[in-house]
Parts: sequence; C-alpha cells; structure tokens
Amino acid sequence: MLLVAALAVAAILLYPTAVPDGLALPSVDADSTFGADLVARAERYERFHYVNWVLAQVVLLATLFLYARKGAAFTRESAAGPVGTGMLLGMLGLAIVWLVGLPFRVASLWWQRRHGLEDVGYLDWLVGDWAVLGAEFASICIALLIVMGLARRLGERWWLPGAAVFVAIGALFTFGTPYLDFTTDPLEDEALLAAGRQYERELGLSELPLRVEEVSDDTEQANAYATGIGPSRRVVLWDTMLLQPFTEAEGKVVLAHELAHHSQEHLPKGIGWFALFAIPGAWILMRATRGRGGMGAPEAVPLALLVVAVLQLAAAPATNAISRRMEAEADWKALQVTRDPTSLEGLMVGFSDTSLGDPDPPGWVALMLGTHPTLADRVAMARAWAERNQP
Amino acid sequence: MAAIPSERPIRLVVRGDELGRSRLTTFFRLLLALPVLVWLFLRGIAAFVVGFVNWLAVLIQGEVPDSLHDFVAAYVRYAAQVSAYVFLAADPYPWFRVQADYPVDVEIDPPARQSRWTGFFRLLLALPALLLAASLGGGLGGGSSGTSGSTQGGEEYWAASWGLSAGGVASVAALLAWFFIVALGRAPRGIRDLVRYAIGYSAQALGYLLLLSGRYPTSDPALAEPYSELPRHPVRMVVADDLGRSRLTVLFRLLLAIPHFVWFALWSIAVVLAALAAWLVALARGRVPSGLHGFLGAYVRYAVHLQAYVFVVGRRFPGFTGRPGYGIDVELDPPVPQRRLVTLFRLLLALPALLLAGALWGALFVAGFLGWWYALVRGRMPEGLRNLGAISIRYGEQTSAYLLLLTDRYPYAAPVLQGRPEPAAAPPPVLGDAF
Repeated sequence: MLLVAALAVAAILLYPTAVPDGLALPSVDADSTFGADLVARAERYERFHYVNWVLAQVVLLATLFLYARKGAAFTRESAAGPVGTGMLLGMLGLAIVWLVGLPFRVASLWWQRRHGLEDVGYLDWLVGDWAVLGAEFASICIALLIVMGLARRLGERWWLPGAAVFVAIGALFTFGTPYLDFTTDPLEDEALLAAGRQYERELGLSELPLRVEEVSDDTEQANAYATGIGPSRRVVLWDTMLLQPFTEAEGKVVLAHELAHHSQEHLPKGIGWFALFAIPGAWILMRATRGRGGMGAPEAVPLALLVVAVLQLAAAPATNAISRRMEAEADWKALQVTRDPTSLEGLMVGFSDTSLGDPDPPGWVALMLGTHPTLADRVAMARAWAERNQP
Repeated sequence: MAAIPSERPIRLVVRGDELGRSRLTTFFRLLLALPVLVWLFLRGIAAFVVGFVNWLAVLIQGEVPDSLHDFVAAYVRYAAQVSAYVFLAADPYPWFRVQADYPVDVEIDPPARQSRWTGFFRLLLALPALLLAASLGGGLGGGSSGTSGSTQGGEEYWAASWGLSAGGVASVAALLAWFFIVALGRAPRGIRDLVRYAIGYSAQALGYLLLLSGRYPTSDPALAEPYSELPRHPVRMVVADDLGRSRLTVLFRLLLAIPHFVWFALWSIAVVLAALAAWLVALARGRVPSGLHGFLGAYVRYAVHLQAYVFVVGRRFPGFTGRPGYGIDVELDPPVPQRRLVTLFRLLLALPALLLAGALWGALFVAGFLGWWYALVRGRMPEGLRNLGAISIRYGEQTSAYLLLLTDRYPYAAPVLQGRPEPAAAPPPVLGDAF
C-alpha cells in the first residue's frame, strides 16, 4: 500500500505541465487548414499503416501466445545453465517475433517507397533490420541476465530491485546515448544558431550542443529530437528539416520545441514515468510467471515475453497520453519563446505534406499510437496561444 | 561414420609411402613439377571436353560409356598423383601418365547408372563440393576446371579457382612440409596425411563434376582412417553430438551467439594476462600451476564449444563457463612438467601451427557455411561436414592449448577424429611428427 501511495504521489508530481489549465483548443477544420487534397492523400496513406499495425499486433500476440505454450521445448537446444538457457529462449522468442513481423515491415516499407517517403532499398533495409535484431538480442540477454540472476538469488522478491535496476539502466542509457553519436555534425546555419542561443537564454538553459543528422539520402521525412540528460543534453535536427518546404522560421519553431523538452526536464521526467510503469510491470511479471517456476526458471521466459508484450500494449494509451502532454508542453513553450504561431501552423502543414501524416486521425489511433498531439490539435494550440497573446 | 570408405565409388589409395624425402627434389619441387603441370593442364582441357560429352551421355542414356569414363578417370587419377607430388605427399616423380604403383592414387569404380536429374544440374550441384575442395586446396585439377570455366567467365575465373586452390589447407600444409623436409629430410606424418585427405576429397569432387559417379563427395575424415592415425595427445576431441538441428536455431545461429561473442572477448582479455603469468611461472618452475591450467583449460574448452556452435558443428547452445559435457568437447590432460626451452620460445614455435590452424579455420568456415544451408533445409547436419568441422576445431584448439601452455606437445594435423586409446610410449617430439 505504501508503495502504491508513493507511486500515486510521484504520478501527481510528474503530471502537471506549463500548458495553462483549462486551455480550450479551438476546433480546426483540417480541409481548409491543410488542404482537402492533402488530407485525403494523408488519410489514404495512413489507413494502410493502421491496418498493417493492427494485423501485425494480432499476429505478434498470437505468435507469442503460441511461443508461451510451446517455447519451453527449446530448452533441449541448450547446454547452458538456467540463465544461459533463458537467454536462448528470450532470443529465440525475439527471432520468431522478428520473422512473423517481417512481412508487415516489408509492407510498410513498400508503402512508404510507393509514396516517395523512403529511398532506402529493400536489401539495405533488411541488413539494417537484421542489425537491429542483433542489438535487440544483446539487450534481451542483458535484461534476462539481470532478471533471472535476481530471481534466482532473491526468489519472488526480485521485482522491486529488478525494476530499480532497469530504471537505472534507462537513466544511464539516456545519459550515455549522446556520447555514442558519431553520425551528427554541428549546426552551421547562423540564423538558427543565433535563434537557438536566444531561446536557450529565455528558457533558462545553458548553451547546449545543436547538431544536424544527415538523413536526406534515405528519406524525405522531417524530424528532430532532444537527447541526453544533465551534461549530455543536446538537440539534433534532421537535415530534411533545413530543406524545402520548411522555412527558416519553421526551423526555429522546431529548435525551440526541442529546447523546451530540455527546459521542462522531459527526459528525466520520462525516466520517472518509466519507473512508475516498470515497478508494477515487474510485479505483474513476477505474478504471471509463478506457475512456470518464476523468472529464475528458463521455462518462464516465453511466457514472460508474452506478458511484456501484453503489458506494453495495455499501457500504450497511458504512456502515449503522457508523451502527448509533454509534446504539447514543448509546443506551448516554443510558442512562448518564438511568439510565432503562424510558423508553428505552417510547420504542421509541412509535416503533413512531407510525411503524409493524417492531421486528424481516428480516436483509437491517437489512443494507441499517438505519441504526439494530432497535427490538427497542434494547429489548434497555435491558434489558442495566438488568441491569448496577440491582439 | 557416414560411409565405409571402401564403399565410395571414388576413393584414395595409399601404397605404403615412407616419410623419407629427397631434400634436393623437395627444394626444387615446384620447378621440377612444371612439365607435369603443363601436361596436366592440357589433359585437363581434354578431360573437360569429354566431361561435357559425359554430361550429354548421362542426359540421354543415364550412363557414361566405358571408354569416356576411363579417359576421365585416368585424368582424375593423374591429377591426384601430380597433386601428391607437388604438395609433398609423395616423393616419386609422376611422369606423364598414370602410374599403377604410385604411392598416392585414386580408385574409381566402373560406370554405373546415374540420375538424369542430378546429371542435368551437375555443375550447380557440384559447386558446394568444389568450394570445399578449394578450401582444402588439395586438387590441382581444380585449376583445370577453371580452364573449362574460362569459356564462360574468362581468365578471372581461372585465376580465382587457382588462387582458392593454392590458398587452401593442402597448400599451407605443403609449405610447412617443405621447410620441414628441407631441414630434416623426411615429411611430417600428420601433415602428409592431411594433404592426402585433401587430395582424396578433391578427387571425389572432380570425379563428381565430370560425371564419373553420381555419388556426392563426402568430407568425412573417416576416409583418412585407412592410412592415418591419431597418436594420443593431451588435447583430444570428443564428439558425442547428434546430427539433428533445429532450423530456427540454425537460421539465427550467428545472432544467437552474440552474448557468447561478448563473453568470449571479455574472457580473452583475462586469458592474455593469465597466459603471460603461466609463461613466467612455467619458465621459473617448469610447470603451469593447477589453478592457471584449469582457468586456461576452461577457456580453450569454451572456445571449442563456441566455435562448434557458430559453425553448426555442435547442436546445442553452449554454456558460458567452459564446463565439460558439450556435444563437441575436448579432453585436457592435467598439468605436467614442460620443457623450459620449449616454453621460452613457445610463441615462435607456435607460428607454423597457427598458420595451419588459420588454413583449417578457412575449411571450417566453408564447412559451416555449407552445413548451415543444408541444416536449414534438411534439419540435420551432414556427418562429413560436421566431422571435418570437428577436426578443424580440434587442430585449432590444440594450437591454442600449445600457445597457452596447457601442454608442450605440438598440435597434430592428421585428419582423424578419434585418437588411439593407449598412451604413446615414445617421448613427444618438439616439432617432428607432432604436426
């Protein structure tokens, strides 16, 4: 009970944002704002991805269900001890998931290529996908080494220290990732640099590295991100963000948005939110695998994979809602420092144009997949800010 | 074992070759061989033309005519004899025709009916065997096959084929044997047997390609058992695995080994330091302490398990501690006193073995690659490839054990899987027959 209360208090502390309470977003007519033709194209484009995603999730869960039932048979393929065998079962589970998900990812790539959003070839993509799987294998081995090691030592009490270790790893990863970046270059655009330094002062930030990642050879889509915590903080813009159809003013809005993630401590808060989900998640995992001998037994690993997948899916509405709140707050702070709602609106139209993003997707899509507010909502926020702050 | 060697339609025959070699003819071996190599090349052109006729004959009547079969068979035998001479596996000059009493020869069964389907796709089907033969590098006939290929792919193909052949196990073994013979006047037994085995496999591959037989070549080291044996060695291979393979674990084999790669790299760092300590102690006290011996031994055993798993020689996911009991394993004798002089120059002395281990690792790579495809389709590993992989790993680990001071007995190259059970009576040589 004490723990639940502590988690609840933590959630209450993490929840508030700088977006004024009771801010009413005006309704936005997507057709007139984004253009009826673009909206229709974006809807058609995204509908394919929605169906693809739903099918992929169904196949994923069905596969993991089968693996949870039959996967323990793979223990005979191992001469390693319990933890090593658990690693093998974990990796095999991922391998099967990768295999059954492959057609859906290929379909998604095909659709993006068909719409000119991706230039990467199928073979290059497959090699990259294979490399990603290798990284996932390494990750799951580390995760199982920790969980199974703790479970074999502590029995059913592993979940609390286990969750703490994962949170610590998450924090370490967030902190360390920027130092492993060898693919970006310093931002050289003088105007953007000057604007970035001004926004940093207004947002109460020290001078952060502003960098550019070259992706334009592979994709037309635009993006930017804030990464790192404490001394490792930095902002990275994709080079597509600096090209047409985006204007310099729109680039400044993006820069301000990403800097706002740092000023509002979104990455440390994200780790906090992760802890709030990881602790009960680990407890559920402990309970769910009890019948298979607990997480110390390799036979429990296939079931654990299913439980984790279900938990991720079940938590998606909540985690997406939290993410949307942070993104909305970053938009709001960006508007406060740029005082340019027109550019934010133009930026959203540009995003829809370059990424064929549906400005106003169905409710369930926003619920399950929406890590950012919809483009229409972001336009609405720009207009709401303008109403409040401009004569 | 996969097949009793005498049942193979194309089989190597060894006629009591002594190890003694003339230093003079060995020193000039390649130059002396030039005339027969030219003659072999010319015969190869004719043999491949006849091979094409054989192919048509198999397609039309399912069998090769006796006269054509004999012509090509004579070429394959001649290629084996010339190879044996060039690679120092035999001493008599092969002259310009097949010699009935040559120390290394090939017996080929009379023509038999062959499947038209496998006949039709023979060139394609022979590719894996030719690839393996190239990695073993025991057949000069492979160069001639490039001559045939030149009509399709030009000189590059010929050069590539010859290069593969020259860079294989037999070539490296012959290079080492050359130095050995020039110094001592006799061939190292293990290396000689390894070269013979490679020649035998290449003859099978060539005979299969030229439609002398419809039976696919086998790389099983059991083929070498009639003429080779493995003396007792402090580092011995134990093969207790079955041949069944899970297709899923085969498909993702390399990725599944990722945690092992990481662990192996970390362990290797510690092993370098431990080996240095063992070297200093062995120099001072004349033997490696049990604790260090156990630590280094576990590492060598783990390396065997890991290689076996990665190259599909072993079936199951290995443990991380190098504990005995894996399907492809090594037995290590406990520590014994070691000669200080051998210890002092260990790294230098190990260089020839490392060279040969590298060549065998190439054969292991090819065997693993081919076995991976086969196991993915059929759900089992061919015994011949598995055992070839096992002997390659064994030699590599004997080399590691020698380098890491687990033993001062030199690695032994004979292509035989299981050694004699009884202990060796004679004191082990430093290099000598220890190859």
